[in-house]
Amino acid sequence: MSESSCHASCVPGDHGDSMEIVKSRTKSRALAGAVGLSLLLAACADDEKPLNTFNPEGPAAQSIDNLIGPIFWIAAVIGVLVVGGGIGLAIKNRVHPDDYDPDDLPPQIHGNPKLEWGWTAAPAVLLIFISVFTVFSIWDLEEKNTPGGGVAACGDTGDLDVLVIGQQWWWEYRYDIDCDGFFEDLDGDGVNNTDVWDADDAEWPLEIALDDDDVSVANEMVIPAGQQIDLTITSRDVIHSFWIPRLNGKRDAVPGRLHTWNLEADFPGEYTGWCTEFCGLSHARMRMNVIALTDSEFDEWLANQSTPADIPPEGSEAAAGRETFQQQCASCHIIWEDGLGKDAIYTGARNEGDADRQGRDFEAALAAKAAPNLTHFATRTVMAGAIYSTYVGLDANDNDLNKGQENETYLAQYNDLPEAIDESDDSLGVLRWNRAQLRRWIRNAPDQKDMAPDDLLGMPAFPGLTDEDLDNLIAYIATLD
Amino acid sequence: MAIIEQEPSIAALPSGAARTAAKPLGAFSRPRNPVGLKNWLTTVDHKKIGIMYGTASLFFLLWGGIPALLLRLQLARPNQGLLSGAAYNQIFTMHGTVMIFLVVMPMGAAFANYLLPLQVGARDVAFPRINAFSFWVFLAGGIMLNTSWFLGGGANGGWFNYAPNNGITYNPGVGIDFWNVGLLIAGIGSLTGAVNLITTVLNMRAPGMSWMRMPIFTWMTLVTQFLLLFAIPVLTVAQLLLLFDRRFDGNFFNVDQGSDPLLWQHLFWIFGHPEVYLMILPAFGIVSEVIPVFARKPIFGYPFMVFSGIAIGFMGWGVWAHHMFVSGIGPLSVTAFAVATMFIAVPTGVKVLNWLATLWGGKLILNTAMLFSIGLVTQFTLGGLSGVSHAVASADTQQTDTYYIVAHFHYVLFGGALFGFYSGLYFWFPKAFGYKLNEKIGKWNFWSMVVGFNLTFGPMHILGLQGMPRRMQTYDASQGFNTWNMVATIGSFILGVATLSILYNALVSYRAWRRAGRPDVGPDPWDARSLEWSIQSPTPEHNFDVSPTVTDLDDFWHHKYQEDDNGVLRRIATGKEVAQPGNGEGVHLPAPSYWPLVLALSFPLIGYGLIFSLWLCIPGVVLLITALYGWSLEPADDLDDDHGHGDHHERELVGANG
Repeated sequence: MSESSCHASCVPGDHGDSMEIVKSRTKSRALAGAVGLSLLLAACADDEKPLNTFNPEGPAAQSIDNLIGPIFWIAAVIGVLVVGGGIGLAIKNRVHPDDYDPDDLPPQIHGNPKLEWGWTAAPAVLLIFISVFTVFSIWDLEEKNTPGGGVAACGDTGDLDVLVIGQQWWWEYRYDIDCDGFFEDLDGDGVNNTDVWDADDAEWPLEIALDDDDVSVANEMVIPAGQQIDLTITSRDVIHSFWIPRLNGKRDAVPGRLHTWNLEADFPGEYTGWCTEFCGLSHARMRMNVIALTDSEFDEWLANQSTPADIPPEGSEAAAGRETFQQQCASCHIIWEDGLGKDAIYTGARNEGDADRQGRDFEAALAAKAAPNLTHFATRTVMAGAIYSTYVGLDANDNDLNKGQENETYLAQYNDLPEAIDESDDSLGVLRWNRAQLRRWIRNAPDQKDMAPDDLLGMPAFPGLTDEDLDNLIAYIATLD
Repeated sequence: MAIIEQEPSIAALPSGAARTAAKPLGAFSRPRNPVGLKNWLTTVDHKKIGIMYGTASLFFLLWGGIPALLLRLQLARPNQGLLSGAAYNQIFTMHGTVMIFLVVMPMGAAFANYLLPLQVGARDVAFPRINAFSFWVFLAGGIMLNTSWFLGGGANGGWFNYAPNNGITYNPGVGIDFWNVGLLIAGIGSLTGAVNLITTVLNMRAPGMSWMRMPIFTWMTLVTQFLLLFAIPVLTVAQLLLLFDRRFDGNFFNVDQGSDPLLWQHLFWIFGHPEVYLMILPAFGIVSEVIPVFARKPIFGYPFMVFSGIAIGFMGWGVWAHHMFVSGIGPLSVTAFAVATMFIAVPTGVKVLNWLATLWGGKLILNTAMLFSIGLVTQFTLGGLSGVSHAVASADTQQTDTYYIVAHFHYVLFGGALFGFYSGLYFWFPKAFGYKLNEKIGKWNFWSMVVGFNLTFGPMHILGLQGMPRRMQTYDASQGFNTWNMVATIGSFILGVATLSILYNALVSYRAWRRAGRPDVGPDPWDARSLEWSIQSPTPEHNFDVSPTVTDLDDFWHHKYQEDDNGVLRRIATGKEVAQPGNGEGVHLPAPSYWPLVLALSFPLIGYGLIFSLWLCIPGVVLLITALYGWSLEPADDLDDDHGHGDHHERELVGANG
């Protein structure tokens, strides 16, 4: 885990190398010092800019960066020439208004067709040059989007296939472990199961069901580093856009459409992103995390996610919390236990009286339009649209509502996770639940994040929950590792 | 009217007797010599209408600027709670909508209305009453749109208003309806205005003003009006579909019924991208007028300037999907639109280089108007270059919907269009009002705008490439956006004060002019080139005493400067000496009318009805029909007005050109 304990940007790369080069150039010490300092500042600054597109950590983002870098330089040169030309000509040719002599006219040049054809052609040639690289790049990157091969391809490539579903205002990630797609005929209209990996065949509304082998997580996508993840992106409501700037460009999540996309992280690490298509009230609070692990760590994670949740022992605080959960939360949230259907999420309009596989009536499910699946909530580092950390370091201020540095600490401890959950257990001395934030969230989520539960958008407040209920609930959630 | 009205055959009859005998058909009388407010409400004079367009757009500039400052305050530091998510979304939506539809577009219309008839040597536009109607219906739509603040909240879907977020399911409030109906109404004004100005240019040019003798501003305005003529209906279609969806249970954008939300995006951007060019082309025209005057040289490569403008007008229709590179339109479409977008940079680049070539070897008078023009050339170019980087479609997947885009379009719309308009305001102000704006304040105005503008929008390039998405109510300290956001906020307040200082300048200049006893600025205060400077300032109500006969590009300038015997170009006369004296004796002008205003007022009534209760539409429709009949049955002109009927010049012109 040593690699993943290091933040992605610390991985030796361009910045370190270029600093060495600068250091070795000692002829003009002052200059080298200045350049070195600015590079150092840039490197440090990158460390604090988790979304920086100039700091790619995956092959797609790297390829984009390689393409646009030289183009920015060309643009900069042209910009300097034109702006400099404008300012230079203004200074050089200016005449003081007092010296204005109507008879002293400059040469009356009406134009020069050769020159003008020249500067029509020159930019055209330059743009043809840029276009060639652009077109090759478009098709190169498109070739990475390969899951169109359907179920067979899903299995054959050995790559991971994830269905990404945007909804107001969080992301769901469904891992199709056995490559059989997610569709089934939930609404009984006779349209057969369709293969989610073949966008051309897909019928809308999507009827997406999880097999027992499949995994659904919210807000945070966990992936193995060093291999391509094939994504199919869609939405349950309005248009969203999925963007992890350090790994790849963005792709819109459009309801009624399945878009293919891909992600690959070169190294284990944490990569953050933001919904980038305006999606209404809480657009600013719809963020996402991608955590890249080593293969073995990822296999371990996946194996854990594929198991049902533990049922806490009778009489414990957690057992009381489970009861509260089933009364208050289970109409929208699912915690998959042994023997229950895993879930079934239907994206389109629901008919009255429809029920999903857990017997929840669809109207209630619509209230949150399928709220995050909480089965292994305690293994996630972020919650509530990735705006809050699930854990905080012991030193961290409890009131720090925002995720930040502590996630890295958590990442470092990822393997030791099960012991790190209860705040009373400080044997690790590093992490504990972001308990204060969890309490605030469960009691009054719309106060923490703009939502409109009255319009069936987002999580409602639960003013009726007592402090004891909250403690029990959190104790229960803490067992969901 | 000036064209189609058929006067009773006065000329054939002995004068005097004919005046009382031939009462033209008409059920209503027209306002007679109105003064004060009534004058402005009933005027059909293109100059007054132009001034009203300008005043309205300056007001809306203030009105749309306050929200911008609120947005910047909210984003000055991370995790601020000054504006809630709901408030933020409304404010950024209304900022964009107001600035585009109620500031930049009408500002272009202001210049077009005031200048176009003057530059082609006409007395008015082709349809003066329709011209008044265009303005009033634009204003009615604009005001109606903004009353949403008091009647349930502003629109909150962004100016692009993507489906399905604009649907009743996700946006049950009335804000989107106000956006939809308000802009539908304002769009009527753009459409009628376009028809009017196109007709004016096609049919009412002065004798001898062939296509290639038209000033570039006129050319660019003509291209703009064609863009409006074809673009606005596309938006109207989209908005009508949305209206049916929201008010009458339509399913045009209902995904559950099998529709594709990308339909809205295509419709919107087929309108939206020509829209971008119709906002910038009038400013290009203005700069092409200002730079030659103050460089004291003709525009470099007039034909290239004209044809590059036309090329932009055509190519502007083939690039809309570059707004949709990440919305899943497929690699083939992406490739086609990326390449098309690249090449629209060619005619734009030609313009920039020709402006620079006009500066080359000139003797430049760097007054405020000229500074703003050079400001456009430099600042717009920066926006154009970032535009080319968006055309690199692979890279656009990183750039789109980030602050890099916000930086880009503010560089072209503020650094481009608005700088051009400010240049035009300083340049033509003496023509419209009879005195110059103060140069000292003007230079402060320019330099503070340049500084504020670059401080505000320059950092947004960096923010966007560092990963800050647009339309974000807030951000986290951990995301590393703090410093540049603070810089941008400081810049925005400098820019706000700087932008408004033109109003202060107008006030100071007016007072100084009044104190000095209202001296005559003369017809040609800048030693300028086009026809509007060959008449007195402020422009006489009848524009031209006699219709000018044009023999050259920059005809007026050639009346002032000619080669002497040695072949050296010399001034042979001042503008004052060759200008028309402003004697309106015997000129016939169309009479004012109530009906454009009344007709325009019926639309918001119907609009409110569509939003709140269809019953309200009934009085609106009644008013609409009444106004249409009133309009039709009004006498073409009032025989009792002050003007004589000796001049039939404009009709003759139609014969000459049409």
